[in-house]
Amino acid sequence: MVQSALSRPGQRERYDSKIGQIDWVFVTLLAMLAGIGALIQYSVGGMSWEPWAYSQLRNFALFLAMALVLAVVDLRFWLWLAYPSYAVSLILLILVELIGDTRMGAQRWLEFGPISFQPSEFMKLAIVLALARFYHERKPEDANWSFWLLVPALMIAVPSALVMHQPDLGTGMLILLTGGAVMVLAGLNWKAIAGAGLMGAISVPLAYFFVLHDYQRNRILTFLNPEGDPSGEGYHILQSKIAMGSGGLLGKGLGLGSQSQLNFLPEKHTDFIMAAVSEELGMVGGAMVLLLSGTIIIMALRMAALSHSHFGRLAASGAIATYACYVLINGAMVMGLFPVVGIPMPLVSYGGSVMLTVMAGFGLILGVKVHRYQELPKQSSMLANLME
Amino acid sequence: MPEMSIVFNDINKSQGVFTRRAFLMGGLTALGLFALGGRLAHLEIVQGGKYSRMSAGNQFNFRVIPPPRGDILDRNGKLIAGNRPSFRVMIETNEIKDINSTLDQVSYILPQTVTSRRRILRDINQNQRSVPTLIAGDLSWEDFSKVSLYANDIPGLVADMDQVRAYYYGGAFSHVVGYVSKINAKDLEAEEKKPEADLNLLHHPSFRMGKQGIEKALDTVLRGTAGGKKMEVDANGRAVGEDSEGSRAPVAGQDVTLTLDADLQQRAVDVFGSDSGAAVMMDVHTGEVLCMSSTPGFDPNLFVSGIPSKTFKLLNEYERRPLLDKALSGTYPPGSTFKCLVAMAALEAGIPETTRHTCGGVFPYGNHVFRCDGVHGNLDMHGAIVTSCDVYFYNMAVAVGPDKIAEVARKFGLGQIFDIGIDGQKPGVVPDKAWKKEYFEKRGRPAEGRWWPGDTPSIGIGQGFTNINCLQNCVSVTRIANGRKVVMPHLIKAIGGKAVNYPEFADLSVAPSHIDMVRAAMADVVTSGTAARSGKLDLGPIVMAGKTGTAQSHTYKDGARATLHLDWERRDHAWFIAFAPADKPKYAMSVIVQHGGWGASSAAPKAREIMRLALIKDPEVRQRIVGPVKDTFDPAALKAAEAEAATHPVDIPVAPTETTAGATPPPA
Repeated sequence: MVQSALSRPGQRERYDSKIGQIDWVFVTLLAMLAGIGALIQYSVGGMSWEPWAYSQLRNFALFLAMALVLAVVDLRFWLWLAYPSYAVSLILLILVELIGDTRMGAQRWLEFGPISFQPSEFMKLAIVLALARFYHERKPEDANWSFWLLVPALMIAVPSALVMHQPDLGTGMLILLTGGAVMVLAGLNWKAIAGAGLMGAISVPLAYFFVLHDYQRNRILTFLNPEGDPSGEGYHILQSKIAMGSGGLLGKGLGLGSQSQLNFLPEKHTDFIMAAVSEELGMVGGAMVLLLSGTIIIMALRMAALSHSHFGRLAASGAIATYACYVLINGAMVMGLFPVVGIPMPLVSYGGSVMLTVMAGFGLILGVKVHRYQELPKQSSMLANLME
Repeated sequence: MPEMSIVFNDINKSQGVFTRRAFLMGGLTALGLFALGGRLAHLEIVQGGKYSRMSAGNQFNFRVIPPPRGDILDRNGKLIAGNRPSFRVMIETNEIKDINSTLDQVSYILPQTVTSRRRILRDINQNQRSVPTLIAGDLSWEDFSKVSLYANDIPGLVADMDQVRAYYYGGAFSHVVGYVSKINAKDLEAEEKKPEADLNLLHHPSFRMGKQGIEKALDTVLRGTAGGKKMEVDANGRAVGEDSEGSRAPVAGQDVTLTLDADLQQRAVDVFGSDSGAAVMMDVHTGEVLCMSSTPGFDPNLFVSGIPSKTFKLLNEYERRPLLDKALSGTYPPGSTFKCLVAMAALEAGIPETTRHTCGGVFPYGNHVFRCDGVHGNLDMHGAIVTSCDVYFYNMAVAVGPDKIAEVARKFGLGQIFDIGIDGQKPGVVPDKAWKKEYFEKRGRPAEGRWWPGDTPSIGIGQGFTNINCLQNCVSVTRIANGRKVVMPHLIKAIGGKAVNYPEFADLSVAPSHIDMVRAAMADVVTSGTAARSGKLDLGPIVMAGKTGTAQSHTYKDGARATLHLDWERRDHAWFIAFAPADKPKYAMSVIVQHGGWGASSAAPKAREIMRLALIKDPEVRQRIVGPVKDTFDPAALKAAEAEAATHPVDIPVAPTETTAGATPPPA
């Protein structure tokens, strides 16, 4: 606010001053998290940059650059992008349903020539933008309890149902949770929240018996009793717990984790990387990841709260809600508190597409902070604004 | 944010809601992360010990190193059974998804495995998943190199070196030393119950268990104690390193030295050729068994890696019964060899050796006429043994009675099972009145248990109910040759390099003069009696004493004589018992040729060849022999000698005839 009073007209729009407004502490925390991830990938890759650590760091550098570029993009661009990106993502999801490529038993990928990608990843960000724009343009009372709420409810339900049907339970759940978080943050009535919670509680057993695939059902059974089948479905959970438990306070040391180095730990470089972190770097390492993640989430929420536009607030908080869901679900899954769903630990786990999604989200968050004083009109011709 | 409130009221309002909810969400997230941190601390600190142990259990795998089995040596230290290295290739089933395609790859490298595909698949199904299955053993160096080269590219394929039991004399020791083979389900169950059982070893694919003879009897001594390698393994069970501190070396089984002489054992097998029978030789003074063979034998090496069922069927169904230990388990009527003991019984009963009877070829008794194979004229006891006159011994048996004969026979070892360390001995029958009563009572026919007078004469010539094994006959001739002690047979000389001590022999309660009488008669059997043509050693002053015997193996029709021109299984059993040197006995032996024809023509020449070698090998005896001695043996010459002896029938059984008239003598 002090700065706003001092700044000359037009100065905020200058890119060099925008770059100065980027929260570099936040960026440093992201880099630390990615650094821990690369370190462990170096270790579980047999103390080698290949095959994971190098490309993980390269991806991070690339996506960080992208995030920094997104951070200086005018918020009006995001606002303009909201509905079209949602529409394109939805169309792509429907295309996956119709002509998608089946990999590892699930239909998640679309191929365009040499490029193949999962539209569900785009949807994670698009849903946040679309909902933010919707609430931005409505009266605050409507967000509490009104006929209009059918629109965001459908906007969430359709893509999450499509993704779950692929079947990708984890991502579908993530879309549902993120969308729900945005609705709550926008001011949804507490009774409605309680009602939705109740409906969720009822639908879980119903879904278990009528909706879930056998392998998903097995995962839940195994989660409830991992020792029941230690060499089959319970293997992941048990080996993960063994890896974490045997790490102790300070860990076995980099490259010395027998569980991860000798392949007892499955998916050690992707979904179960937290187990490898905790085995080799001990409780200190595991707690470090949780602490960094927590700090990132709190800082992002604070940045969202600083925004002068409702769109900026909801977009930034929605993006961080996605990230928070990733962290909490992955942490709980690795520690045997949640069934095994394919949810990685963002930035730490190896994998380009999830990193792309969350880094784009972080770019948005940084951008919301950079443009926190920017007022956005409720109804406007976006194109006209951009032309200006 | 005061400046905002002036501008947009509704935005101000929604900002308030958002800030509260964002705060709440931040709090909830922090709570969730805090809970995860608590869970982390619980896993890593509180349950850390438990999971550390589980981690070590994952990481390390105790691989059993089977102990080398103890060697089995002959009395001179010659290796009878040992271990030889074998290159083998195994398959680790739990690493393989498609066994058939893996076996296809293997058969490309080793074409010979194509034919054993069914056996391999069966073994894979039977084995535990953690246990590797043998694809092929005893690979040549070339094949082994090829497999080793490709083993890394075919997951689950393991090429290594194993120790395999080897029997260096083939079939010569097949019954007495026995063999080892894979443990079967029944044995496994029994072994697992033992308190000292090592389950890891019992389930190890290269573990073998003794199944017969010394290998079975001294199995635990020979087996040793398994060692182990503490291996670091990956999730696929592949070894990535070894923890030498956690490993321990196996303790080899103890060596067992037998009293047997491998040369004599081999000679016995050689002289028998394709004939069926057994030969046992003992040291007259120590009771050490120098030779104990049963022919035809089988190659025990066949059983080590698993005998093909076709081969086993052939062995099992062959009429000469290679799987039967004829030295211990086969019992036969002793025939005329028994006359030595009948004479001994007569002397002990107070009948002087000068007692004479006249042989006119027949011995009418009751409503039977018992017959002799010749007309021997008037004989004393010495002459009767030398000529093996049946009539004389019919008379002796009737005069002495079955109970006294049985008593003396038992004194000389018949009807007994000896503790020689291995099982399989059949006691046979030394008949007396009590035996016959009990025998028929046990079978619920007590009326038949009465001893009839007509049962007695046959006893005198070693026929009738009398039934003995080859070891017993050897013990009896050993005791005659020793004359002073109740010599007991021994088979095990030392275990683990330490000599086994046996108790002193008891004194033999038989008058020395009676012993001398029988020995003198046995000496003349070879010089001028029934074995005159076939018992000569050709070793100068060293001569053998012996007694021929031909035991009826089936009933002839009235008055018929045994001939050699019968089907094999209808011919008589040929016996020869002997000791040498005749003047100063050192070695005693007994030979039976199953369905061999006559003792003098079939058994005596074989005994002579074995005895010759024993005497030549004895330095003390060798000194007394002047001039060069040929210690090899010529099978053709032996065959010729047997054929020549067969042209002079002596000591052969003749069937008694039944008469309608005739006085029934009073019960004996």
